[in-house]
Amino acid sequence: MAQHPVLGYLVWAVLFGALFAWEGLALSHLSGVPTLSATFRAIMRYPFGRWALFALWLWFGWHIFVRGWHFLLRA
Amino acid sequence: MGDAALSSALIRQDVLPLAVGYALLMAALAAGLVLSLRRPAVPGQRPSPAASAASAVSAASADSAAGPAARGWLRLVRHVAGTAVGGYLLLMAVVVGYYFGVARVSGNFIEGAFTGCALLIGLSSPVFAAATWLVVRRRPSGNDR
Repeated sequence: MAQHPVLGYLVWAVLFGALFAWEGLALSHLSGVPTLSATFRAIMRYPFGRWALFALWLWFGWHIFVRGWHFLLRA
Repeated sequence: MGDAALSSALIRQDVLPLAVGYALLMAALAAGLVLSLRRPAVPGQRPSPAASAASAVSAASADSAAGPAARGWLRLVRHVAGTAVGGYLLLMAVVVGYYFGVARVSGNFIEGAFTGCALLIGLSSPVFAAATWLVVRRRPSGNDR
């Protein structure tokens, strides 16, 4: 299996850090930035937004819970 | 490389970071939900279709008539099924487009995407339905939030 460069992990860490910093800022009500849930609520008003979010959820769920796993009864 | 080493590397490099990220995201969303529920509702704000459908189910369950309850459940089922089918088809379109247009991933990638995502929907839908039923059942009558 290929070794991943440290830079790749750093990029992911910065992205997640920025996401949670944004959410923390929104929840503190110190600024007018919307929370993630408010953002998702706005997206989910529209059918295509709901489909896109559900597709994203499926994509993550497939990778985390299904892909590459061998179930007990699987040959 | 053996299967055990491959599985270990897969868990360490892919599954674990994704699972931690997913858990953090869900925790942040849960915190936001709890905070928004504690806050009074903004006047004039329309509830989401799912929330209004659940409220309709709840309100209708308080009635003795079976008709409104059935209509509330039917509306909720239609909403959830539409979202699930639409999301599944959208993801499959993206997966097929990615496979044929960008990168030809080795192995049974497309087959795995079709069956794996369908399996995930099949497993999560009954759990979601049961959880919704329990929430509606435990909700005191007259409380539509």
